[in-house]
Amino acid sequence: MKGWHGKILRVNLTSGEITTETIDPQIAKDYLGGRGWAIRYLYDEVDPKVDPLSPENKLIFATGPLTGTPAPTGNRYMVVTKSPLTGALADSNSGGVFPTEMKWTGFDMFIFEGKAAEPVYLWVNEEHVELRPAAHLWGKEVPETTDLLLQETDARAKVACIGPAGELLVKVAAIMNDKNRAAGRSGVGAVMGSKNLKAVVVRGTQVPEFADPENMKDLSMFIQKEVGGDIKTKGSSLREYGTAYVPQVTNELGILPTRNFKTGQFEGVDHIDGPSLSEQFLIRAKPCYKCPIACGRDTRVDVPGYEGAGEGPEYETLGAIGSSCGIDNLAAITKANYVCNELGMDTISAGVTISCAMEMYENGLIPEEDLGKPLHFGDADAMIEFIRKTGYREGFGDLLAEGSYRLAEHYGHPEYSITAKKLEFPGYDPRGAQGMGLLYATSNIGASHMAGDIAYSEVFGVPVKLDPVALENKAEIVKRFEDVFAVIDAVGLCVFLSVRYMLDQDINLLPQRLTQVLNYATGGGYDVETVLEAGERVYNLERLFLLEAGFTGADDTLPDRMLNEPLSEGPAKGHVVYLDQMLPEFYRLRGWDQNGVPTPEKLSSLGLS
Amino acid sequence: MRISVKLLTTYRKKLPEGTKGNTCTLQVPESYCVSDILAHFEIPNDASSVILVNGLSPEGDQALNEGDEVCVYSAMAGG
Repeated sequence: MKGWHGKILRVNLTSGEITTETIDPQIAKDYLGGRGWAIRYLYDEVDPKVDPLSPENKLIFATGPLTGTPAPTGNRYMVVTKSPLTGALADSNSGGVFPTEMKWTGFDMFIFEGKAAEPVYLWVNEEHVELRPAAHLWGKEVPETTDLLLQETDARAKVACIGPAGELLVKVAAIMNDKNRAAGRSGVGAVMGSKNLKAVVVRGTQVPEFADPENMKDLSMFIQKEVGGDIKTKGSSLREYGTAYVPQVTNELGILPTRNFKTGQFEGVDHIDGPSLSEQFLIRAKPCYKCPIACGRDTRVDVPGYEGAGEGPEYETLGAIGSSCGIDNLAAITKANYVCNELGMDTISAGVTISCAMEMYENGLIPEEDLGKPLHFGDADAMIEFIRKTGYREGFGDLLAEGSYRLAEHYGHPEYSITAKKLEFPGYDPRGAQGMGLLYATSNIGASHMAGDIAYSEVFGVPVKLDPVALENKAEIVKRFEDVFAVIDAVGLCVFLSVRYMLDQDINLLPQRLTQVLNYATGGGYDVETVLEAGERVYNLERLFLLEAGFTGADDTLPDRMLNEPLSEGPAKGHVVYLDQMLPEFYRLRGWDQNGVPTPEKLSSLGLS
Repeated sequence: MRISVKLLTTYRKKLPEGTKGNTCTLQVPESYCVSDILAHFEIPNDASSVILVNGLSPEGDQALNEGDEVCVYSAMAGG
């Protein structure tokens, strides 16, 4: 095979058996790679009703055909499993350098099954693959774990691991790679912890063979130069500020999550924006492997009480831990971000769970004796303390560790949990961005912006600017974004570059250039239609997994606040999410019945019957 | 008439020297439209810029009124 290695490593943690298998070339092609291959295997091998923290669940690491190639931002991998937080699918994505090194071991995908009797880690290099004892690492935080593993394997290796949060089955636990990058959402870290798998360490040099290496190189260089040229002539907010440039933009639109998504404008936004981060804590911009943008932030805080160093914060963190908690102390937010990375937690879910607790506490719904102290909006020190307690399941942290839905439900008021399918909302209040509302309700992992980020158009104007509060065509455009994002996740590219440079720059989002690069890598003979069809196939198979797990169309919904409590201020004042005006059209366009179930005709057309 | 102009992302640098924060106020002729503001700050008036008037998408080359806030940022996505 070209582009793909076509090889899968299967690790049975119960028996310790490690095997290699090849993938059926037709399956490889029909499902593209990454997120696509992973759902095909998960659906075939795991009962969707399985307990996510039981040995019967499987944990899949999947690179795509463009991961570890000259394609710009060919550096991503997916973690796919059944989520313990949501009971739905998990499709967590991460960049950095680990994914590339993983691809260069000669395997496209790792499948972890069962549960080890004692903590172990997997060490994969070109000479051999083995499970090694990890008891001496259990309990250690992510940075120390990573450093020790590099010492005992290979200094040039790359590490993906869990921290104490994953070990303690915290439902908002992440899998961290390269210390500070996160496969964050859906509690994938807890699945890894439930298997007693502490880390995966990879070292390799096997760049795959390409079908058309010359054109692969030329087109990749061309795109790299194009991006570089744009950055030179127009500047780059992502390089200069990281994603921290976003709070001012969402605030201007009135959709920056504020105080548990009560409102969409935050009076402290000037303290948590891009210039603030750059001026106070930025050391340098940091790129992932083969990325010309460099949106990553190497940062350091020396403010007394908040000392630390690492990467970030990203926009989502500034929203979830900052404005959603009513906090404008950037040193504290950055410190909390470091704590999440060190313990291995999703900053979005950790932050929005805290903001849920804050609102409930202030409304007298959580007794102070349960918390052990007050937890008001704006209390930065309490926020940091409870973030740490979440990661260690300490005191009230044991409830926070269950995510906002179970926390709010425990106190009899699940409506305070700002989630869809129990996954906490990302940083866009959908009452002021209607397409995002439909996306949150229909993503196969729950409220995710990365499942089909129509905010690109509604907020950022890429490839074109859409009116965020208009409903016209939103169902169709959300479907397009979902299908093409499934493609991007399957092939192993980063969306930051792909949406602008790999897709046609109009609202049809046709992946012309992406298809070209894919064909140069794999020789797969794709055209734009078959690529999009593959994305649609992946999305529909994921939907089948959810339906068999017990989800129904009734779960394609949003919290009461979003459907019935209009925004009280800002440009989107007076709006709720008009989900009932978008969802039926979405089902129709998807070829689903009015209950959100794919019709036999639809499944047949995708080869899924 | 008096209007305020908020420039975000890399466009912030185009604000007058000494501006504190990301917003400045301008005295402009009554006839001013959105395109005049972009020309004033030498910001490309094409798909690479996103323009909002009082947080909302403008109607074409919208005429401005006293007290309007025009916000412009470069079309760049990620977050």
